[in-house]
Amino acid sequence: MLRSFTFFLAGLFGGTHAAGQSIEAGAPGESGLALRCAKALVCSPDPGDVQYVDNALVLVREGKIQAVGPAREMELPAGYELIDLGDRWVMPGIVELHCHEGGTYDINDVVYLANPGLRVATSIVPRNERLERGLAAGVTTVLVIPGSGSNVGGHGILLKTGLREFEQARLRDPGSLKVAQWGNPESWTIGVGMTFENWNTRHTLRRGSAYARRWEAFEEGRGPEPERNIQFDIFRDLIANRAQISTHTQMYQVVLMTLTMIKGELGLPVFLDHSTIGGWLAGGLAQEMGVSAIVGPRSLDPSASRGMMNWSRNKHEGMRGVAAGYQEQGLENIGFNTDSPVLPQESLPLQAAMGVRYGFEDTSLEAVRGLTVVPAMTVELSERIGSLTPGCDADLVVISGHPADPRSWVQAVWIEGKQVYESEEARLW
Amino acid sequence: MKSLKKLTTTLLFAWGFSLGFQAPLQAAPWDEEDDSEEAEASEEEEEEDRYLAIVGGDVYTGLGGVLRNVTILSKNGKIQAIEADPFLPEGTEKVDARGMRVYPGLVALSATNRISRGLFGSVELPEDHIDHEAEGEHHGHFYASLAQSHIEEVGQDQEDHFFDAQVDTDAVDSFDPYSQYLVLALATGITTAEQGSTALKLKRGEIEGVAMKDKHLTSVSFGSPASRRSTREKFERAAEYLREYRAWEDLNDKEAKEPSRKGVDGGTLNILLGRNLARFGANSRDELLGIARLAQRYGFRPVIVGCQEGWTVADELGRAGATAVVTPRSRRFKDEKLVRPGGTSIENAAILHAHGVQIAVTPSNTGFELSGITGRDLMHLPTEAGFAVRGGLTNEAALRAITIVPARILGIDHRVGSIEIGKDCDVILTDGDLLHYQTFVQYAVVDGKLVYDKEDEIFFAHIRPRPELPPLDPVQVEEEDEASEEPSEEEEEQDDEDEGDEDEEDEEEEGDEEDEKGDD
Repeated sequence: MLRSFTFFLAGLFGGTHAAGQSIEAGAPGESGLALRCAKALVCSPDPGDVQYVDNALVLVREGKIQAVGPAREMELPAGYELIDLGDRWVMPGIVELHCHEGGTYDINDVVYLANPGLRVATSIVPRNERLERGLAAGVTTVLVIPGSGSNVGGHGILLKTGLREFEQARLRDPGSLKVAQWGNPESWTIGVGMTFENWNTRHTLRRGSAYARRWEAFEEGRGPEPERNIQFDIFRDLIANRAQISTHTQMYQVVLMTLTMIKGELGLPVFLDHSTIGGWLAGGLAQEMGVSAIVGPRSLDPSASRGMMNWSRNKHEGMRGVAAGYQEQGLENIGFNTDSPVLPQESLPLQAAMGVRYGFEDTSLEAVRGLTVVPAMTVELSERIGSLTPGCDADLVVISGHPADPRSWVQAVWIEGKQVYESEEARLW
Repeated sequence: MKSLKKLTTTLLFAWGFSLGFQAPLQAAPWDEEDDSEEAEASEEEEEEDRYLAIVGGDVYTGLGGVLRNVTILSKNGKIQAIEADPFLPEGTEKVDARGMRVYPGLVALSATNRISRGLFGSVELPEDHIDHEAEGEHHGHFYASLAQSHIEEVGQDQEDHFFDAQVDTDAVDSFDPYSQYLVLALATGITTAEQGSTALKLKRGEIEGVAMKDKHLTSVSFGSPASRRSTREKFERAAEYLREYRAWEDLNDKEAKEPSRKGVDGGTLNILLGRNLARFGANSRDELLGIARLAQRYGFRPVIVGCQEGWTVADELGRAGATAVVTPRSRRFKDEKLVRPGGTSIENAAILHAHGVQIAVTPSNTGFELSGITGRDLMHLPTEAGFAVRGGLTNEAALRAITIVPARILGIDHRVGSIEIGKDCDVILTDGDLLHYQTFVQYAVVDGKLVYDKEDEIFFAHIRPRPELPPLDPVQVEEEDEASEEPSEEEEEQDDEDEGDEDEEDEEEEGDEEDEKGDD
C-alpha cells in the first residue's frame, strides 16, 4: 500500500493513475495521507481563530483530520503518503442545509397540515447522479428535507453525498424537523392563512415538546413512562439539540414569528432557512437569539419588480443582497443554500459568490465559512464537518482557487479520508 | 376585442409619439424625400463634432491584446484613437477610467424583448429605418448582387419570403429607449441585444440608429426526421438552382431562358449565397452530426444553439466551421442506454473551441430574473462565460464568447464586439476582471455617449460605492511655476484669454499641494 512520493507525482501529473483506482491512504485501516497545497482553508468555528494557512500540509489518518499547518513548520510523519497538489487549494467539504435532490422527489405529502412523523429517509437514493454533480462541486454533506406544502413536513436527514451505501452515507437521522411557516402551505386543501398557520404550528410544536418533556421526566425518574407516539418522537431529539428545526420562512414578519415563537416562546433549536424577501430586516434579533440564517435560493431583494415584490414590505430602492442585509443588521452566522433542485446542487458555491456580489463583505473568508463551518455549526456538527480542525471528518475538496469563483474547479474530493471523486477519471463539473 | 385592443394600443402609441418623439421622428431619414448625399454632408458639417475620451484605463480590446493606461477617443460615436496621450479637442467629454478596465460592450443573443419593448406593445415604422449606411457593404459576397437582382425581379411581395420569415419586426419597431430593463442590460455591460433576429444597439433616450441589422439569421429546423428530410430537400433545390443560374449566366445568351426560381426556398438560397447565417437548435449528437454533414455538403457555416453533446463530435463540428452558442452550465444526464459518451459536459465549450468551433455564450435564462434568484439570467452573462472558463476555455475566448463572436453571428462584427479604431465606441468600464463575480460595470458608453453610471442609478449604487478620485483635469504640473513664482508674460496673456478657467487653475494648485504632501 505504501507508495513513494515520486510515484504519486507521476500518478497525478503523468496520468498513470489507473482509472477507477482511488487513493486509499487516509481511510480507516490504511496508512496516513499528507496533502501539500498552496492554501488550506481551515474554517475554524471561531472566526477569531486561524481561517487559512498558506503553503500548508494537511495530515489525515483513520478518516479524520490530524493536523493542518504551514508545511515548512511541520514534519512528515513516517508511514504517510505525500501528495503534492502544487498550486491547488484544500478546503473542507461544502455543507448544504436545504436539499431535495437526495433521492426520489416524493417528499411533500400534505394530507395533513402538520406531519411531524414523516421521514424523507425512506426516499433516499445515496450518491444519485444529482448528488454526484454536487459532489463534483465540492458539496460533501446535504440536509435532505421534505417540501414546504404543509406547516410541518417531517424529518430531514443529513447525508454524505459521495458514499454509496445508505448506512455509510447517513450522517444523522433525523437531521432536522422541517417547518414551513408561510409562503407555500397556504395552498393546503381549501387554503389557510397566516393566522391559522401560526396557531397550527404553535399547537403542533407545543404538543411535541410536551411529549418530549414527559419522556425526559421519565428518563430522569420524575414520572411514568409515556405512551410512544411516533408522530412526536423527533421532539426528543429537538429538546436535546440533537436535531434542529429547519424553517421555511420568508418576509420580515414571518421571520419574526420564527424567532419569537419557535426560539423565544418554545425554546426549540431552530435556524432560518430561505429567510429571504425582506427577512434580513430581522437580522439583529436573530443575532441576539443566536439563530443562524441559511439564505437562498433567492439572493436578492430586487426593487425593480415592485409589483411582485411589494409583499415583502421591503421599501429599499435598489438591488438589496440578502446575505448583505443580514450582515448589516449584525448577524454573524450566515450561510447559503440552493433549495436544489430549484437551483441545481452544484450551484451552491455560486450562491456564496452572488452573496458577495450583492454586498456581503468577504474580508475574513465569510463566504467560504458560509458554505462550510457556519452550516455545520447550525446543525451542531462543527466537530465533525465543515472545518479542517483536527478531529473533524477528513471531508476534503481540492480546488483550483477561491471556491466562490465559478472559474475555480474541483480536482478531487475525499470523504472520511477516502477519495470519492477524481476529475481526471470523469470530469463531472 | 383583439382588434379593438390593437387599435387602442396603436392610438396610445401614436399619442406617445406625438408627445415624446416628435423631434427625432421629424429628423429621421425615412421622412426625407430628397436625401441626396450632398445635402446630408452639408448638414453634418453644421453639426459640431462630438468627442468623448475614456481616459487612463486598461483596455481589453477583445482581440487578445491589453493596452495599459491608455485613452480611447471617440469622435461622433466612432473610435478615433486608442493611445497613451492623444490630443483631445476642446470640449471633449471625459470619462475617468483610471484604475478601471475597459471592455467592448457585451452582445446578448436571443435577449428578452423586455429590453426593447415599450409599455404599449408594437407600432409600425417605415421599413428603411435600419441604418443601411452604417451597415456598409458588409456582405461583399459575389452572389449578393445576384440575389439583389432577384429581389428586384420577383417583386416586393416575394422579397419577404426571400429572407427569413421568422423575423420579429416588433422588436425594432417598439423600442422603448426609457425602459428600466434597458438600464439593467447596460448595468450588465450589454450594449447590443438580439431581439428576434434583429440586432439592437441599446441607446438610451434615442431611437435613431437603434436597429443595426435585421434578418441576418435564418432558422433551420432539423429536429424531427420529417424536418430533416424537408431541410435537405430545400438545400438540394437551392443548390441546384444556383448551379443552373451560374450556367445560364456563363452562357451570356439573351435568348436563353433564365432558370425558374419557382419552388426554391428563399431563406435557404440566402444561406447558400452567404447573405444569411443558418441557425439551428440542436443538442443531441445525432442531430449535430447531421448538421455538420449538411453544412459540409452545401458549403455553409452553421450556427448551432445548444450544442450540448457537441464535445462528443467536436472534430466534425470544427471541420464544418460551426459556431456553437452554448450555455456552459446546462445539465443533461447521459442516456444510460447508450455506451458512447453523452450528456452535458462542463468542458463542452473548451473542447469545441480547441477543435476550431467558435464559441458564443448565453445564459439559461435570457431574460431578467427579478424574483431574487440570481446567477443564471441575462444580468449574469459574464458569470455564465466564467463557467466556460471553469471547463477549460481561456479568459480571452470567454470574453470573445460574449462580444465579438455573437457580433459575428448577428453580422455586426464590423461595428461592435471589439475595441478597434473605426468601430462604434460601445464600451464598458468595470472595477475589475469582467469574469469575476464581484465586478460591477461602472460606466457604459454607447456610440460615444455615456449612457450608464452605476452611481447615478438606483440599482447597484449602494453596493461598494465607487471611491472618489482626485479630479481628472488638473494633472499637468507646470514645473516653471516652481522655478519662478511670478508667471511669465506669455502665461499672463493666456490667463487673460481664458478667464473662465480660474476654477481649474485653483484645482491645479490644490492638486500640487496634495502631491507635495504625498512626497513628504
